[in-house]
Amino acid sequence: MSNWPTETKYISHATTRIDAPAKLTGKARYASDIQAEGWLYGMILRSKWPAAKILSINLEAALKIPGIKAAVTVKDGPRTIRFYGEELAAVAGTSKQACLDALRAIEVQAEPRHDFVVNEAEARKENAAQVWEGSPNSSKPQVRESGSVDTAFPECAAVVEGFYSTPIQIHHPMETHGNTISWTDDGVKAWASTQGISSVRDGLAGALQLNHSQVRVVTEYMGGGFGAKFGAGVEGILAAKLSKAAKAPVRLMLTRFEQALAVGNRPSSFQKIKIGATADGMLHAFEAENYGTAGIGGGGDGGGGGGGADITLPYLYKVPNSRVKQSVVAVNAGGARAFRAPGNPPASFGMESVMDDLAVKLGMDPLEFRLKNDPNPIRQREYKLGAEKFGWKQKYSKPGSSPGVVKIGVGCAAGAWPAGGGSSDTQGEAQINPDGSIEFRLGVQDIGTGTRTVIAVIAAELLGLKPEQITVKVGDTNYPPGPGSGGSTTCPSISPTVFDICQKALAQLQTQSGLADARGANWFAACKKLGVSPLVVHGKWQRGLSADRACGVQFAEVEVDTETGLVTVKKILGVHDCGLIINKLTLESQINGGIIMGMGYALYEERVMDDLSGVMLNPNFETYKLPGIADVPNIDIVLINMPERGVIGIGEPATIPTAGAIANAIANAIGVRVCSLPITPAKILAALGKVPPVTT
Amino acid sequence: MKAFEYATAHSTASARELVAGNGAYLAGGNDLLGLLKEYLVSANILVNIKSLPGLDKIERGEKHWSIGSLVTVAQIEDDMEIKKVFPGLHEAASDVASQQIRNVATVGGNLAQHSRCWYFRQRDVPCLKKNGDLCYARNGENRYHSLFTGNPCISPVVSSLATIFTSLDATAIVLRDGKEIRLSMAELYQRAWENPLAHNSLNHGDLILRVEIPTARNRSAYMQVSDKHAFDWALVSCAAAAEVVAGKLKSPRVALGSISPVPHQVEAANHFLDGKVLDAATATQAADLILKDAKPLEHNAYKMPIAHALIRRTLLKLKGTA
Repeated sequence: MSNWPTETKYISHATTRIDAPAKLTGKARYASDIQAEGWLYGMILRSKWPAAKILSINLEAALKIPGIKAAVTVKDGPRTIRFYGEELAAVAGTSKQACLDALRAIEVQAEPRHDFVVNEAEARKENAAQVWEGSPNSSKPQVRESGSVDTAFPECAAVVEGFYSTPIQIHHPMETHGNTISWTDDGVKAWASTQGISSVRDGLAGALQLNHSQVRVVTEYMGGGFGAKFGAGVEGILAAKLSKAAKAPVRLMLTRFEQALAVGNRPSSFQKIKIGATADGMLHAFEAENYGTAGIGGGGDGGGGGGGADITLPYLYKVPNSRVKQSVVAVNAGGARAFRAPGNPPASFGMESVMDDLAVKLGMDPLEFRLKNDPNPIRQREYKLGAEKFGWKQKYSKPGSSPGVVKIGVGCAAGAWPAGGGSSDTQGEAQINPDGSIEFRLGVQDIGTGTRTVIAVIAAELLGLKPEQITVKVGDTNYPPGPGSGGSTTCPSISPTVFDICQKALAQLQTQSGLADARGANWFAACKKLGVSPLVVHGKWQRGLSADRACGVQFAEVEVDTETGLVTVKKILGVHDCGLIINKLTLESQINGGIIMGMGYALYEERVMDDLSGVMLNPNFETYKLPGIADVPNIDIVLINMPERGVIGIGEPATIPTAGAIANAIANAIGVRVCSLPITPAKILAALGKVPPVTT
Repeated sequence: MKAFEYATAHSTASARELVAGNGAYLAGGNDLLGLLKEYLVSANILVNIKSLPGLDKIERGEKHWSIGSLVTVAQIEDDMEIKKVFPGLHEAASDVASQQIRNVATVGGNLAQHSRCWYFRQRDVPCLKKNGDLCYARNGENRYHSLFTGNPCISPVVSSLATIFTSLDATAIVLRDGKEIRLSMAELYQRAWENPLAHNSLNHGDLILRVEIPTARNRSAYMQVSDKHAFDWALVSCAAAAEVVAGKLKSPRVALGSISPVPHQVEAANHFLDGKVLDAATATQAADLILKDAKPLEHNAYKMPIAHALIRRTLLKLKGTA
């Protein structure tokens, strides 16, 4: 169906990032590197109470601190605070220290409230403190039902039940949220660390009551967002206000501490699941009740879209008789935002866990059981390819049968990403100069995935040039509009757009130059015939060159020390598809990153809130634990190239199955299931019955 | 952090003089700078002690070795003779934090570091250790906390070097009020056992000069278990040392970290092991003795099986190297 070339030199091959030298030498300017003429530091004062009534905020003393040029409040007059870390005010000054001193000088008159609730189970209790006065924390369950669940369970040959939970995960991109903003009479210029320059432009314009043409957003390079960086954010609006008041550009980048509190997270899930299959191993009945929190908003998104607490069950499986109840619960803690494959990693973990348990009960190999029940032909192919490469048949044995103290286990799991297609609004342009140089300009941003390289690879392929001959400019709202980088849509949005630009450029160049084929060897001769005026070609996304719905399965092999509970992941194999592969190298990078992030979700990461004080206890990398290089195993990647489908995004699918695969490998190793992420030594030892009862 | 003055001391006398009042000694700075940035301690002057003469030396005597307080953890890790003479010390040093931290972290700083309790380190929690009214961890999130304590605070000592030094029966030589005093590891931490405000027994102005380790125990071993495989605090750490003569343990000592405000050791267990030939049953009996009076809390009882396993493994490792 797709018109992509079949014989390729660059597309589907491996090209080193064209901006690798800039990144490695420090020449690449990230949002946090920007030093605009006369810039000031900006910093935010945050609530030290999880719930409070703010009566007044007095900035006078702060403004008297030497070096402080401006101070603003988030909102004048009384207001209600609903989580620890909520923004109150901000200052701008000539040094970090001046700002820190100023924050401490701000006088906040407040009535702290002692009735707050920060954990889900507490918040669901009848007499729990209400996050929103007068309305219950828990929403009424939404029920989806098909078939006849109550009659179906008795018809099953095997039924298992479990309660699976996943924690709040924090995005923690290496570059924190923030921007440098300059607000002058000419308008606003923002250098933002964002996944969506257009959405930040629109957000700033709306909040500051400017028209869109008065706001320009630039993101040359940014250090990751994972879904949490689409909006202008409170920090963006504060930086703008400070800039206006101080008449100078203000750089306001959050600290790691602030990053943990107030700019998004993955909602938790608590999944009570019952599932049954017939004697021939076909899923027959399913019942689930799930709740989770997205923070103060209960189930709602904390900004940017896609950050809700609902998950899709029974996930990628089709069960003829199914009843699913979903509810959400509000707590006094920072709100959720879209997080790499929203809703999918928790759903995959819950479902893939219960699938393994049911396979065991049926006496079936879990992989065979999946092949019987997974309706998707691509995943069927991936499971078979993966099993062969992983050596599943040789490695799989009955749960708990591994001998000795340190036990070995294997597991697998799958993902289904419903999006990943292109945005039809994407546009771009290329300027071809008489000297043969060519520059592409797209109002998209590179969130670290290799967007520039994708553009260069496609252009080089279609124009018969080398990737390094292509100049790529992205990350500026002055360029033709591009998509926000979310939903794994960037690559399938820009690839067809670049295709269109190249087609049009060649057609026009050939007409103007009189050469029948302007590509490759003829390129420079053709360009020379342009005379003195460069050729500027505008293109847009075209149908038929991209698709959506990537699959992906992963296999994990682990070692579990049954005396200490330590889990060592020995190997992960990911088998993934994303239609036509544009650049293998950056694609594999995405999958590596997704798997490592999935490992963190499986074994280490968790927001810990304290019931009594209402604060987050681990707003740092000391106790909010992320996988380090010593924790990461060999990662093998098998790619299925499907040019006939066109381009599909991979960013999100890659992280979905990892936690389920690791959890299943652990259960296979030790013979009992740990139903709660992260799977820590403490939980392993508890599952093994080795933790003594506590009498206090 | 609050503004402070900065001075470099070139003699211990001037260091003491400069730090008097509200000063703090600065060596590697790993702990101190974090404490200052979080406003957990304040100092009007930081006294750089890295230029103090003689404190960065390792002296290798027949009866004992002396390790200067400015010797870095990386130096210990990389010293091939230490690896031979005190293998447990090498292992403990290797497990400290990350290479970058080990490169600047000093022996003195490692021993004198403050609590890592996440309530203590949380800037807005007025916990007992910060002169507040209660220990939030006791009925709260206490997964990383103590199984033993002599006071309401349950923050454990996390110095890996303190654990191995205890098993080696090392002595800290501390400059106090112009005089050198000798503190056993037990004495160096005793105050933290009794007093929730204390992290160790050092007074303001006390300066650790060196640590003396007797060479009598020719076998030593150290092991720890963390949530992660590197750059993570120990959930439990364990060190053991002894002289092994004809397969028998002589003057054995076992110490554990991260489960008590002091390096945890049980005299009865050391006594029990004395003269024994190690086997799995003996190691198990020792572990039972060492953990006998533990008081696990709601979320830290999992440390019991880890500690038990570590004691057995560390002891057997001792035997393995014999």
